[in-house]
Order: sequence, then C-alpha cells, then structure tokens
Amino acid sequence: MSDFRRFIAKRLTVSALLTLVSVTIIFFVLRLLPGSPFETLITTGNLSPEQAEEVFALYGLDKPLWQQYLVYLKNLLTFQFGYSILQSRPVWAILGPKLANTLILLVPALVTTAVVSTAVGMYAGWNRGSTAETTSIAVTTFLRSTPVFITAIFLLIAFSYTLGWVPAFGMRRVTATPNGLLDTYLSIDFLHHYLLPFTVTVLYYSGDFLLLARNGVVEKKGSEFLKLHRAKGLTENEQLVRAGRNSLLPVVTYFALRLGMIFQGLILLEVVFGWDGIGRALVLAIEQQDYPLVQAAVFIMALAVIVMNLVSDVLCAYLDPTVTANGGAA
Amino acid sequence: MTSEQPLLEVDDLHVRYSTNGGDVYAVNGVSFSIDTGINYGLAGESGSGKSTVAEAILGLLPENGAIDRGEIRFKGENLLELSAAERRDVLWEKIAYIPQSAMDSLDPVMTTGDQIRQAIEKHRNVSETNARERVRELFDMVGLDPDRTEEYPHEFSGGMRQRVTIAMALALEPDLIIADEPTTGLDAIIQDKILDTMLDIQAQIDSSLLLITHEIGVIAETCAELSLLYGGKVMEQGSVDNVLINPTNPYTMGLKNSFPEIEGGDSPVSIPGSPPNLSRAPSACAFTERCPFSTEECEQSHPDLMELPNRNHRSACHHVEQAAQMRRDATEPETWGVAVEAENEPETGDVILEADNLRTWYEQSQSLVSKLRGKDPTYVRAVDGVSLSVRRSEILGIAGESGCGKSTLGETMALLTTPTDGELVFDGVPYEQYRDGNMKEFRRKLQIIFQDPFDSLNPRQPVRKLVGEPLTIHDYRTDERTAAITETLETVGLPTTTSFLDQHPHELSGGQRQRVAIARALVLDPDFLICDEPASMLDVSLKVNLLNLLRRLADTEDIGIIYISHDLASLAEVSDRLAIMYLGRIVEQGAVDSVIQQSKHPYTNSLLSAAPEKDPSVERQRVLLEGKPPTPVDLPDGCVFAPRCPKATTECHSAEPAADAAGDENHLAACYFPDSEHDPISAEDSSTGTESVSD
Repeated sequence: MSDFRRFIAKRLTVSALLTLVSVTIIFFVLRLLPGSPFETLITTGNLSPEQAEEVFALYGLDKPLWQQYLVYLKNLLTFQFGYSILQSRPVWAILGPKLANTLILLVPALVTTAVVSTAVGMYAGWNRGSTAETTSIAVTTFLRSTPVFITAIFLLIAFSYTLGWVPAFGMRRVTATPNGLLDTYLSIDFLHHYLLPFTVTVLYYSGDFLLLARNGVVEKKGSEFLKLHRAKGLTENEQLVRAGRNSLLPVVTYFALRLGMIFQGLILLEVVFGWDGIGRALVLAIEQQDYPLVQAAVFIMALAVIVMNLVSDVLCAYLDPTVTANGGAA
Repeated sequence: MTSEQPLLEVDDLHVRYSTNGGDVYAVNGVSFSIDTGINYGLAGESGSGKSTVAEAILGLLPENGAIDRGEIRFKGENLLELSAAERRDVLWEKIAYIPQSAMDSLDPVMTTGDQIRQAIEKHRNVSETNARERVRELFDMVGLDPDRTEEYPHEFSGGMRQRVTIAMALALEPDLIIADEPTTGLDAIIQDKILDTMLDIQAQIDSSLLLITHEIGVIAETCAELSLLYGGKVMEQGSVDNVLINPTNPYTMGLKNSFPEIEGGDSPVSIPGSPPNLSRAPSACAFTERCPFSTEECEQSHPDLMELPNRNHRSACHHVEQAAQMRRDATEPETWGVAVEAENEPETGDVILEADNLRTWYEQSQSLVSKLRGKDPTYVRAVDGVSLSVRRSEILGIAGESGCGKSTLGETMALLTTPTDGELVFDGVPYEQYRDGNMKEFRRKLQIIFQDPFDSLNPRQPVRKLVGEPLTIHDYRTDERTAAITETLETVGLPTTTSFLDQHPHELSGGQRQRVAIARALVLDPDFLICDEPASMLDVSLKVNLLNLLRRLADTEDIGIIYISHDLASLAEVSDRLAIMYLGRIVEQGAVDSVIQQSKHPYTNSLLSAAPEKDPSVERQRVLLEGKPPTPVDLPDGCVFAPRCPKATTECHSAEPAADAAGDENHLAACYFPDSEHDPISAEDSSTGTESVSD
C-alpha cells in the first residue's frame, strides 16, 4: 500500500500548489481592477476622501502590495476571511448561509441525477438501438442544450402560474422567520419552494451522466469478459451490472468534478427562482469590489474544485485496480 | 464407440448472421456427436464457422446471429427448446467454456478469485468460505499460487490468465468443456504447458472436451475424434488417427500439407485462393473453388458425409473412392497450381546489416527519494549484447519465448529505439551517421513490418494511399506513382484493379491486410526488411503464402530479411540461418538445418520439443521447462539460462559462457555443455525437468 500512499502524497502536494496559485491569481487580479470599493460612495458625496483613507488604513489597504499579499496568505491559511468592506460584517457570516443555500439545492439534485441518469444511461446502452435509448438521449440532450433559465421559466409558467402547484419565487414564504437549522431547511414550506428548482437542476445535468454511462456500456458491450460472464450463466441484469461497474470510471470522475464546481452556484437558476445562493452573492461582491468577500468566495470555490479533483483521483484509483499500480510508481 | 447415448449431439445446425451488407451463412448443416469422456476437435481456417458452432452450443451467439435449423442435444435434451433460465442453468454447471483471448476475457475490475467464486455461487448453494476454499484448490490444480486469488487480472501474465479461465471452467466439474482456441496467441512453450495442464486435469475430473483450433497439430496430440469444417460445412470427420493419417478429403489433404514442420520433410504447400463467400447458402461443394480435383459433379451439389466402411471415418467428397490417388497428388505443389520455386541454392550477397554487442536497456522509473540519494538507476536489459550479421538475399530467423527481447531487437535494428551500447552497421555505414541527419535515407532502405495488420494500417486510408504514402514522404518515384503502386501490389500478389485500390483496410481479409502492409514496405525498394511476427494472426494457408512471398523476395529482389517469430516451424521453413534468443542474448545461431537437426543449446532443445506434432502416430517427447524466464533486471551471475537448465553445473552458475563457447563458425552456441550429435526431439540425456508425455 506504500505505492498508494505515495500516490496520495503526490496528489496532495499538487493540490496545495494549485491552491496557492489560484489564490495568488485572485489577489492580484482583484487589485488590478480599476477603481476602489468606495468609488461610488465618494462620487455620490456620502464619504469624504479623508474618511475613505481612514477606512482603507483600517483594512490595511494602504500598505505595500506585497505586505498585503503576505497578510492575505496568512489569513487564508488560518481560515480568517476578515470583514466585508461594505457590509461591515464578518465575511463568513455573509457567505456561510448563502453557500449553505446553494449546496442544499445543488448537492441533492446532483446526487439524484447522477444515480438516476447513470442507471438509465446504462440501461439505454445495454439496449442499444431501442426506443428507450433513442428517446432518452434525445430528451436529455435537449434539456442539456437548452439554457437552464429557459427550462426554468417554462416550468414556472406551467407549474407555478398556470397550475399553481408550487410558488414561483424565493426559498420560503415572505412572512416566515425560521429559527434553527431544522426549521430552516426541513419545513413543508421550504420543500414546497424547493421542488421546482430541484427538478430543473436534475433535468439540466441528466444529459451528461446519461450519455457518459450509455457510451461506457456500449463500449464494453461486445467485450470478451462479458461473453465469459454470460457463459457462466449470469442473467441479463447481472451482466449489465458488470458492464456498468466496468464503465463507472468516467461517470465518477465527472461527478466529482461537477460537485466541485457547484460551489460556484448556478447563478442563472438562482436569479430565476430568487434563490439566495452564493452565485448571486459573488456577482454582487465583484461589482462592488468588496475585496475580502470576493477573495473568500473565490478561495472556497477554487478549493472545492481542487479537493474534488483529488477525490476523483483517489476514487478512480480505488475503483480501477490498474490505476494504482501505474499511478503510484511514475 | 459406446452404445450409450452421446453426451452432445449437433444435428444439421444452420446459423446465419444478418449484417448491413446482407446475410452471412456461417454454418450450413453441421452434424457431429461427442461421446462421454471423448476429446473432440473442431478444426478449420478462420471463417469456417467453428467458433460459431461453439457459440451456438453455448447460446452465446451475438444478437444478429440466428439458428435457422438444426438441433443441439445435450444428454438427449434439445438445448434450443429450453427457456432462457433453463439454458443458464446448463451453462457452466454442465457445459463450461474456455474463451479464446485470455487477455481480455477476465473482468478487469474484479479479482480473479471472485470471478471464479461468482461462477460457483451462481450455480451452487455454498457458503462463501467453502467457495473460497474451492477457488484456492482450483488455483493449485492449474498451477497458480493459491495465495494470489485476491489479485486482479492485470497482475497476471497472458499464460497465467489462461490458467485462471481454465480453473474457472473446472470449478463445477462440468460434463463438457468447450475450449475455443485456448492457446492461440501464446508462445509455443506456454501453449505446450497449458495444453498439458488442461489434459491432465480434464482426465482427473473425467469430463469431455470440445477443442476448437486452427492448429491441426494441437488436435492431433490431444483429441480422439475430430471434424474439419470449411465454409460452414463438415468436410471430413472421424477418429483423429484415420482422418489425419489417411485423409480422404482434398481439403484435409491441403490443410495438412500446408502445415510447416520443423523437421525437414516436404516443404508446405498452401491451398491457393481464399475462403468461400458465405453471402448465400452454398449450393455447390463448399471447397470446389479451391479444389484441384473438382469436377462438374462438385458444382452441382455439396456432397453428403459418406461413411467409409469399417472405420470411424466420414468424408464429404464426391470423389472419395479416388482418395488414395488424390492423396498422392496432393503433396505435389503443381496439383494446386502453385508455381514451384526452383530449389537452387540462392547466392547470398555481401553483408548488409551487422550488429556487434548491441544493447538496448530501458531505465526503470525511480522514486524521487532514491533519485536524490543518487542511487544508480536499474535497467531492464531487453537486448543485452547481441552480435549478428545478415547478408543480402538471406533470411535470418530470430526465435524465442515472449519477453525474450526479440521485438526490441527488431525495433533497435530499425532504429526505432536508440541502442544503448554496441555497434550497428547498415550498408557499410555505422548507425550514428544515419542518426545524425540521414535518417530518411535509412528509413527508405530499411523497412519494418509489424505483427498486427489490423492496427498497423490507418483505417481511414484506401489501399492506394496506404501503399503510396511512403512515396510521398520520401519523394521517391513520385512521377510514376501509379506504376510503382501497381508493380508492388503485383509483387505481393494482390489485385491491382481500381476497385481494390479504393478499398479500406476493414474491407480486406487478414491476409490481404498483411500483404498491403508488406507492399507499403516494399514500394520504396528497400534493401532490408525486418518482419516482427508478420504471420502470427494469419491462418495456416495464408501463413504459408506469406512465407513463400518472403522467400521469393529474398531470392529475387536481393534484399536481406530478418524474420522474428516464436513459431519455430515457420522459421525453419523460411530462414537460411536461425538465431535463438533468450533474455536479450543470442544463445545459439547457425545454419537453419544445423540448428534444428543438431541443436547444441539445451534451451533450443526445449523450444523444439514444445511444437506440436501433426501426425497423431508420432509420439513426442516433451521437455517441459520449469519456471519462467527471470525478469531481465537483476540477472543471476553466470549463464542466464542456468536456473531453468536441466544440465546446469556450478560452472554455469558462476560464469557466463561466451556466444561462441561451442560449435564452429557456421553454428555457434553459448553453452559449456552443448548437446552433441543426437536427435533433438529425444530428451534422454537430460534427466531432470523432463517429462515424457504420450497420447
């Protein structure tokens, strides 16, 4: 297993380096943007240049860039994201709930679609040429290539305005003031608001998994080892399971990468459904040049993608016995 | 013949595949029966329908294959009338299967032990512990380490994977084992060992065997009865002794005569022409187009199998009564319309390629830590000090087991890999000079033909482009392109029609593809050809054609050829001189007759004895080698063959014998104790590590 440990150590080092590179890029790109967080306030006369200088000094923004950079790295390493410049609240207090909102919507949706679409895709691949196959491919490809907000709007028109089954906007009734986690995310009211965005997300991502799984099974279908399984007397379904198991690698890789990417939120969906997620928060923060907020948000996103890459590598090594042997040595 | 019910009866089986290009009538009325405890052989060239018969019995036909007619009765029960579930119960429990390509037949993401266990648990209600115990037992039985059951297929070599599939087939002690080309693709020594194991165990558990192969020699050694298929029809069947010693069907005669043999004898005669077109059910005798004895009667109908009196022997030929006459004629190449090559001793020319102490070592990857520590890297010594020379018009055969470095040697001599050390002189110029800017000239003069004609041709190019491309690259005869292409295709015996020139590789047969690959090498009029197992994927008659073609090229075009193969019989047939390779070294080389008749090195002996004998009346002494070659990384001191050598002494273990330790100028062997004058097939003089095996 030392091979495997070496493999993990190597991937961890690469991941750490990648994180460093990405946070560095964020830092300098933000500083390169013209203007400052207070531009609007100063031009509208709400803040005098002297006051602005004062606030700047308070945040350490008057120091030379390299000093700012070092402090920034130190703070990130200790997970201290600081205070938002414009909202005067700890960054984490702003981002935390929004990230939670995004994840509570997207993670279950992604898991659902990964499981269901992969299963359907494998079945479709096994029954190549059948109506089930052609229909499923056509439908999911259509859903994948239609921009997500169009699908969302159509579903809104159908289920919200016409049928009135679900509310059209927000995460809960306007009057609701939930206390505690349980109340926030496990009420009937929340579920009611949750259904439609959830469905749209599931549909949107279904095509990717379906096609990946289908192609994997089609590729494996004629292979000699399945013939031997068949000769052993395995039933059709048992054979399909073996074919599926053998074509699982791309699906798992894609799932892990997608999971990393959903930390960015699905901004179009969040706008259409009035979902208070991290995507919207990020766009707003960039517009306002709220440095600490943007830095923290981008750091989390980059970290998520990098960590998930690592997870997918490890998963592949776990799922495919041939990966460890080669991946560990070289 | 026993009077009891046969184990398996196939009766008038018809199988048809529907494809985009119309129907293919793969099997057209095959009947045979296997008695309990009998080993039955099913032989034929590719496209004869032999694998389709096996798939039909097992119910493994692909979706586009359909059984039109016929019955398959197993212990009297018609398998075709069973429901899918009942059929599954018969599979493995009663009829097990050893697949063709062991490399791909095991599930790559499941441990080998689990795959066998799966077969057991599918059919038997056993506890997991018992099943595991059984798997260990089976591993032990087929000669695998029982502690390796938790390993995955990729951790096993090709021969070991085939052992795993054999273990799987034995798991439930089935009544019948169907083995579809179980040893194709394995080299002679491994093939010999596997067949030995298979027969041994099969005799222990008392099951019948249906062996499907294109190698008559394998059937002659292992089976009691056989059927020869051609074009989906049985041409001849009966007891192996009768059919192979006294064939009564022209096809059997042709097939038997086309088998190259190591031990002298007549040179093989190939059956000209190609396998029949199966796009319609045959109305004439399936073999008539290629049969030298065919008459009008043969065009009318396919003959029924005719029982020959007083022996277990049936033949489907309209002219059975003339069998003795046909047998005499069939050994003459003229009968088959094959031009006889004048047997004059070809004049060999000047030395064109010379290698001296050539080495190709591959550095093994190291961890960062050991690199930092400054450890010396370890090397895989693929080619380790090879000296040889080839003259114009000469064919040098290089033989050895898989992994002995013969392919690397070929690639090194073609400068596809840069030699680590040693000298290589081609056409009087050392290789360094070619490497420094004259590579193009070298590439034009020396061409290499690869093993696999399926992968080495670009699937998107038509024949015209495939053959013409080298001309463009080397700016050679560009003004007379078409003429050059046509000439070359004629040389290799391919049609030159426009329609053929426009065909893509997938539309060609295996033999045609390999010829296109050769044409592509020849179109530049090279001085030297390196052929790396060019015939290993081809049927026997195509193989003989290819060997004849190479021989003719060497004789008439004055080029030097290196022919690399593990098939000693073909090498003996085509080569002028033979070099035997073991672990990156040449252990013996010399004139082909001398090496074969009076082999000096014990390794050559064991190689020679591993080849199956096509004549069932001849008993063969096998010299089974213990173990497998060590990895060429940390080689033992002394002779590299010593650990497996039956005659090794202390001297062998302490110092390595030089390439010319024994023999004379014309025949060298790197051995301290060369075998002296004797018949190489007998192995009396090697007492240990020897088993005599008789049928």
